[in-house]
Amino acid sequence: MLAKRRTLSLAKRGFDFEIFMWLFVRLSALAMYLFALIGLVGALIMGARTQVNFADLMRWTFMPDSNHVLMNTTLNNIANLDVWVTLFWKIMGSLFVTFAAAHGLHGLLSVVEDYLKNSAVRRFLRYFVLVLTVVGIAIAIYVVWTK
Amino acid sequence: MEVTLKIFRYNPETDKKPSYKSYKLDANEMDRVLDLLEKVKGYQDGTLSFRRSCAHGICGSDAMRINGMNRLACKTLIRDVGTRVTVEPILGLPVLKDLIVDMEPFFDNFRSVKPWFITADPEPEKERYQSPEARARFDDTTKCILCACCTTSCPSFWGSEKYVGPAAIVAAHRFIFDDRDQAAAERLQILNEATGVHRCHTIFNCTMACPREIQITKAIGEVKMAISTGILD
Repeated sequence: MLAKRRTLSLAKRGFDFEIFMWLFVRLSALAMYLFALIGLVGALIMGARTQVNFADLMRWTFMPDSNHVLMNTTLNNIANLDVWVTLFWKIMGSLFVTFAAAHGLHGLLSVVEDYLKNSAVRRFLRYFVLVLTVVGIAIAIYVVWTK
Repeated sequence: MEVTLKIFRYNPETDKKPSYKSYKLDANEMDRVLDLLEKVKGYQDGTLSFRRSCAHGICGSDAMRINGMNRLACKTLIRDVGTRVTVEPILGLPVLKDLIVDMEPFFDNFRSVKPWFITADPEPEKERYQSPEARARFDDTTKCILCACCTTSCPSFWGSEKYVGPAAIVAAHRFIFDDRDQAAAERLQILNEATGVHRCHTIFNCTMACPREIQITKAIGEVKMAISTGILD
């Protein structure tokens, strides 16, 4: 006889900020590996192997912002500047910085939740980290889109 | 062989702060730390206080920090810890006297996850049958003796005693994965709060400390997965 599968619906077991962030931290880590891979492969397709130095290629890989390869003109010799500043790379850069900042600052939030006993200070820092995350991401996206 | 036992001493009625006192004893390498504590109390210093009951690793009374690791004194042989042994109370709970800590915060957390069988089904005539496979699902977590070795080895618990701790999650696991129980959702909601499983960062101290060799971190991981997916098999 087959045993009946025991499952609980989302409504029954609850879905709140804690479990959302627990899932987000794990999935965002995987997503950032994917973004880095896309950045690296994309850069190589755009001619980075012969036109960009290794340090700038790594900067681009982990944050595909055109400043990372265009500013260092003495070391880089980019043939076509336009392909590095497209809508696709701006969206990729925005996603990367959003995931990275939310992922990293949630780590800070975990330290606050783990080690601070005073509930008033904990609540203040919880909101402080939240504001820091939103403001940080907003500034980064502004930089990515205003060049 | 001669063994030096360095013991944490604190009497809140007479001492301003804790101190350590050393005792030299004749011992056999097969003696347990508990035997030596009994010798100190019986022959050298009757004021020494510690908990013990069955002395066979079942009751969980004599959990203490031995050479920096949480262990049961009745299961720790001198040959495994050497001839210079430091004995201290478990961390994260208020010390009442010497090696005795106040276990109430620990038991408050334990009770918070409802570690008892809950069902709305009518009582059967004989018993609630369960297949061997269904019983095996939570076999590991039935072995807990509530000694608190795991919870008091956890840095998250040292940081905040509001964290339910590994022992409470183990107790919850035992019922969440029991197919006869019907309160899994309730327990998962409790463990999904900020003071629940999300304070566990898989440090594995609990697994290393458990004298019953329960795979505690694995059990906590299974509870996290149950919260995420809702699958209880």
